[in-house]
Amino acid sequence: MSQRKVPITRLNKFFADEDFDLDISIGQEWLHGDMNFTFVLYRVDRQRTKKDDVYGEVVSEGVQYHAPVELKGYVQIEAPTNAFMGSSRIGQVEPGNLKVGIYQSYLEEIGVDIEFGDYIGYYEKEDRVRYYSVVDDGRITSDNRHTYGGYKPYYRSITASPVTNDEFNGI
Amino acid sequence: MALPKKIKKTLNLIPKKTGFERRVELLEDIQRDGTYLPKGIGHADLDRGMLDFVKNDLKTFMDGKVIPTVDIIITTQNWSQFTETWNFQDLDKNVKPPFISTVRQPEVPYGSNPSLQYTIPNRKQFYYAKVPTWDGQRKGVDVYKIPQPIPVDITYNVKLFVNRMRSLNEFNKNVLQNFASRQAYTNIKGHYIPIILNNISDESVLDIDRRKYYIQNYEFTMLGFLMDEDEFEVSPAITRALTMYEVPLLNKARKVEPQPENPNEFPVDLLFVSGNTELSEIFRYTADIFLERTDNVETCEVYINNDYVGELNDENNKVQINTNDLVKFVITKKSSGESKIFTTAKLL
Repeated sequence: MSQRKVPITRLNKFFADEDFDLDISIGQEWLHGDMNFTFVLYRVDRQRTKKDDVYGEVVSEGVQYHAPVELKGYVQIEAPTNAFMGSSRIGQVEPGNLKVGIYQSYLEEIGVDIEFGDYIGYYEKEDRVRYYSVVDDGRITSDNRHTYGGYKPYYRSITASPVTNDEFNGI
Repeated sequence: MALPKKIKKTLNLIPKKTGFERRVELLEDIQRDGTYLPKGIGHADLDRGMLDFVKNDLKTFMDGKVIPTVDIIITTQNWSQFTETWNFQDLDKNVKPPFISTVRQPEVPYGSNPSLQYTIPNRKQFYYAKVPTWDGQRKGVDVYKIPQPIPVDITYNVKLFVNRMRSLNEFNKNVLQNFASRQAYTNIKGHYIPIILNNISDESVLDIDRRKYYIQNYEFTMLGFLMDEDEFEVSPAITRALTMYEVPLLNKARKVEPQPENPNEFPVDLLFVSGNTELSEIFRYTADIFLERTDNVETCEVYINNDYVGELNDENNKVQINTNDLVKFVITKKSSGESKIFTTAKLL
């Protein structure tokens, strides 16, 4: 990221940085205060994880994690799909992906980044948690949808696909 | 240091049979635990044999554990999948990798096994074995016949579902070691059935926004055959009646009196009672009749088969008679009363 800062002056006749911050804070208040969707992020410690020399695959029980972090965001879970596994005729109902919209400022505030391959645990019920692996960490937020009316990017869209318990089952 | 190649590291305590003895051993395997006939093989037996082959011969370990196998052929009845896979299902009751599944192509075409081609028409029955029988009285033999087995080619897709490349490598090594000579064999009800590795392909799910896992497909063809036990034929061959009787050993056998041989010459005396002047006799032999003497006989005429042949007297004292001739003697008596003619028959 460039050290040089340039003030954003677009839309400045009717919208400014103060308005942007106000709307973000209102949105966060609604999302974190009213909605209060929480999930747990398990970040893979890529330095300490034991990997295979040739394929880079993790050896058994070899994944190391940073301390889990509870995060708040706008959680959506897609509908499951019913399909065969390849051409095996073994049918399965594949759970839908988890999609999270999360404020960028919130991540910066708590000093957490979500990366490709990290795991997310989402409690569907008190005694049932489903784990997901991040397949799209949404770090590119340049498109119009992720900006506030074209003013500045303000949130990230994270996509995570479900994993089986033998891949990850919490820490 | 490595041992020289000629040194045997292990010794077989039970020597392996070769040649004719091995063939006899194979035949005994086929007949074991059953009748003298080979055991029938159907589609289900071949499928079971393939599942056992995958389970035992292609057994693969990952992290010290055996990769589980779905021990059924997946069919249209969905519930049966659950019964076979419940011990490796996840939270959603989905089968979770790693596991191995066997899928059979439903169609079963006529086989390409070169030893069982279109050679014998009309389901002709062939001699298989002769089996001795004994029903308590009669000893016999049953002939067992079977028709030529029907060759079938069954294609199986053995699919490996794993999360790691090293597991793919391990399974691939197992398969290629088994099929290094192109074919491997599975023993189904005592019959060795060849399996050929056709193709290896990849169906891995590697979409970016979906759960990823490897699927590798190994296509095998089983060169099997079908034998329907209902077509076997058992028919009786030879039976022998054995009659047994008991002989008391303490009793001596009665000695048979020796008889003299039948004579070639014997007397034939003819008696004419009072009032009778005719005698008829069918002779059952060929002989010459010689007149010896007469008593109270004036003349004696001889008829053979009612044909007059002459008078029997001192000058003409011989009559030749053939077998089954009806000979009639007609006499005139010198005086009333009893008369006799004494003759001798000489067999010819």
